[in-house]
Amino acid sequence: MPAITKASLGRFIARQGILIAFVLFMVGFTLANERFLAPENIMGVVRSSAILGVMALGVTFVVISGNLDLSVGSMMSFSTIVVLDLHDKLGPGLAIPAMFAMTLCLGALIGFLVGYLKLNSLIVTLGMLSAIHGLTLTYSGGKNMDIADKEGTWFSIFGQGEALGIPVPILIFLGLAAFLGIVLAKTPFGRKIYAVGGNGVAATFSGIRRARVVFSCYLVSSFCVATAGLLQASRSLGSQNTVGQGLELEVLAAVILGGASLLGGSGTVFKTVIGVLILGFIQNGLLLVGLQFYAQYVVTWVIIILAVWLDIAAKRGKLLSPIA
Amino acid sequence: MTRFTLAATTAVAAFAIAGAASAGSYKIGITQNNVGVDSYQTTYEKAFIAASDANADVEAVVLDAGGDVARQIAQMEDLIQQEVDAIIIWPTNGEAVIPAVRKAHKAGIPVIVTNSNIAEAGFPFVKSFSGPDNITQGSRSAEIMCDKFKAMGIENEAKVAHITGQPGYTTAIERAKGFEDRLPEVCPNVTVLDTQPGDWNREKSQKVMEAFLVKYDDIDGVYAGDDNMGVGALNAAKAAGREGIIFVGATNFAVGYEAMERGEYWGSIYQSPVDDAEAALKTALDVLSGKDVPFLNYFDTPKITQDNQGDFTKPVF
Repeated sequence: MPAITKASLGRFIARQGILIAFVLFMVGFTLANERFLAPENIMGVVRSSAILGVMALGVTFVVISGNLDLSVGSMMSFSTIVVLDLHDKLGPGLAIPAMFAMTLCLGALIGFLVGYLKLNSLIVTLGMLSAIHGLTLTYSGGKNMDIADKEGTWFSIFGQGEALGIPVPILIFLGLAAFLGIVLAKTPFGRKIYAVGGNGVAATFSGIRRARVVFSCYLVSSFCVATAGLLQASRSLGSQNTVGQGLELEVLAAVILGGASLLGGSGTVFKTVIGVLILGFIQNGLLLVGLQFYAQYVVTWVIIILAVWLDIAAKRGKLLSPIA
Repeated sequence: MTRFTLAATTAVAAFAIAGAASAGSYKIGITQNNVGVDSYQTTYEKAFIAASDANADVEAVVLDAGGDVARQIAQMEDLIQQEVDAIIIWPTNGEAVIPAVRKAHKAGIPVIVTNSNIAEAGFPFVKSFSGPDNITQGSRSAEIMCDKFKAMGIENEAKVAHITGQPGYTTAIERAKGFEDRLPEVCPNVTVLDTQPGDWNREKSQKVMEAFLVKYDDIDGVYAGDDNMGVGALNAAKAAGREGIIFVGATNFAVGYEAMERGEYWGSIYQSPVDDAEAALKTALDVLSGKDVPFLNYFDTPKITQDNQGDFTKPVF
């Protein structure tokens, strides 16, 4: 074990600023309400963060590649509504792959527009946010979708089941995080994503086909969205058309909290998971503290900005860094 | 395909001419909030079209603002240009539509507001409001809950959690007010533990309820601003294995109706989009035929519980 020196401690703080912020919030909320750390509460928060978390994993890929994805919220509504509708028409065994295929098509379309037509990802995904919402409404005719036989379907295991005493959504979230974390950190594909997002021109000169990498990132993102839609549908066995509305910003907030740069080229899956948990615990903590809810909107964003600032200050080694 | 379209267009045109030709007919324009966003609004539109088709005196111009205030204002101006006899508006925003309502009023076209009222500053330009009385709905929910507590003999110690609709929405505010004002009148010893918004969203409401269940060991009743949120809260309680909680909602949804059939959900307020649409059309016709119409023209939204749900058909939304 190497001796802890001042310099190594400084490096640790710089690298793990967001983790430290996370621990600080946890301590703060625990002091405010001792039930915050109760196992069933922790489990509940992680479970309800799983849906947001799964989406954030995919968006991490897109953001590292130097693009944005604002369509994930309405795409999640789409997959939820589709899988619920097909469940009663085709049965769960066919509904799930059909929904994944349809969602991946949407991802492929976005990937094509951004990767091969070189359109600005902000514009494309902002447009898709609205277009997919319209598609969902057209598909459902505006009606809520509900599974007719809620008691007799095995479809509920993804959202409500447990294995080894751990809720299945948590297992899926952590399993997918581990898999995508390895893909991003340990495979040539992962390194290409960092290269494309970090310095696109250099990546091209290294023989990386940028369009294909960007396209693949949107496929990963839509796969994650489809998984999130499956969890959502399975959890409530019924849904409104607007179930994912606004989630795109929470997802983006989680990814940025995790320290991924919006300019591309940096970020990790592990830190995104921490970002997701921070968001989940903030929302839960504020509920438990019993803060008046109008104030919660304000406090949530004050905490997010505080966390990002702590992270950046730790990296730069100083609190103030004016634009110069 | 082309021929079919042509035939259909001709048929529609023929109907339109026939409609315009009938004596003493009224041309009534409606601009709706956001058809398609939920089943309530979808059913409302269908019912409105059916009711106006059934009445030979009515020619309806049915428009949808798609939730967009600017589009609704433009639609109001279109209807004024078309010189319709009356305009029904389902406001996208209670404040922002007032100038357009005022313009219609100045042009001599009576305006009827449907479903959700506009802000008070616009009242002088409105002939009548037709819709549900959200304050009454809230207070009826309080009565349903209190009656159940009395039947269980826990009216002196029961504790209630309250999940509201989206903050800032008139419907959410009025229902919450109706509930909070009425509950202490009928059950003075019941305490409200906590109030948090569920944003009309089942998943959000489930999250809020999970936190309530961690925070409070003892919850006897939950009031949710609509059944969608009520069922979300119910799901949280079921997942946590907490039984015996009395759930009361408002705007009875199909999911709430089914949960009542299963005996898991106690009661709600029955609000039919068909009644809502028919009441709006009837109010407009009463105004046009010179009848004395009250300014606040509420249609009845009765209490529904496990005891009397057989008297009501299952909601379509």
